[in-house]
Amino acid sequence: MGKLTDKIQMQEAEITSASMADIAFLLIVFFMVTSVFSATKGLDFKLPSDDENNAPAEREEAIAFKVLEDGSFEMDGRPAVREDILPYVAPKLERWPDKPIIIYTRPQAPYSGMVLVYDELRKTTLPVDMGGLGIAKLPNISIPTYREVREYERLFGVNPFEQAVQ
Amino acid sequence: MRLRKIKEVKANIPTSSMADIAFLLIVFFMVTTKFDVDRTRVTLPKSNVRAEVPKGSAYVVLYKEAGIVGFKFSDGDQMSHGVPDLSALETEVVAVAARDSTTPFVIKAEGDTTYQNIDDVMDMLRQSGVTDIILLTEQRTVGDT
Repeated sequence: MGKLTDKIQMQEAEITSASMADIAFLLIVFFMVTSVFSATKGLDFKLPSDDENNAPAEREEAIAFKVLEDGSFEMDGRPAVREDILPYVAPKLERWPDKPIIIYTRPQAPYSGMVLVYDELRKTTLPVDMGGLGIAKLPNISIPTYREVREYERLFGVNPFEQAVQ
Repeated sequence: MRLRKIKEVKANIPTSSMADIAFLLIVFFMVTTKFDVDRTRVTLPKSNVRAEVPKGSAYVVLYKEAGIVGFKFSDGDQMSHGVPDLSALETEVVAVAARDSTTPFVIKAEGDTTYQNIDDVMDMLRQSGVTDIILLTEQRTVGDT
């Protein structure tokens, strides 16, 4: 018998990873194209649920805001601007953190006017170095719906939110 | 004298770390990505206080076309679609609220929409048992009125 000359050739086992980077970059491009960063933030707001026994905010005790048709607003019956809000409410909320605040917006007033007032009031919870008051508790803000306004009108004959506080 | 042969160095760019970088980027985009369920262009009102909208929030969109307010709705999974009026919108909202009453609802509306329209939507949401709403806003910057 002759000498065996054919050596069995050993093949190294390997997993081909050359295309992995291609797949990875394809996924990167996909996520880059579909991702959204900044457009999904807003003012959170809690609606009162109907089953809760909600005590109506006392009109006389409350700080009343009235947003007008041109986007301006009145604070306790006097015309005011955005910068006036925090200095006005700060001492009142320090004395009584649960003081009711009512934001009544006239039907034809712009939505941005109401957001402006609500945003400024929400700033009370921001730290002082960020322009807030550093109050931990959310202010007791109520925004009457027109259904409620009509109910008041039916009961009292006038819209109490349009009346000036005496 | 015998001259030493200059050793030739093969030029190559090391690419072994490329896949690591790529996967790092993938993980980053996967974590930060939010699929936009509504792409209606509206001029949002501006605010300083802005909270992150939770994933899966339902969207109620109020947009203006030729001065008329139109509605769009998304349950948070599907892309938003137009709804003809408030009662049709209510049907959609009730269906989502019945599935999970804790679903947050996002109100995305033009800043100059009259408040009557917003009140109609808010009142309808309240009647449907929704408690968590988010008013979508843009960041107020220095110089904005």
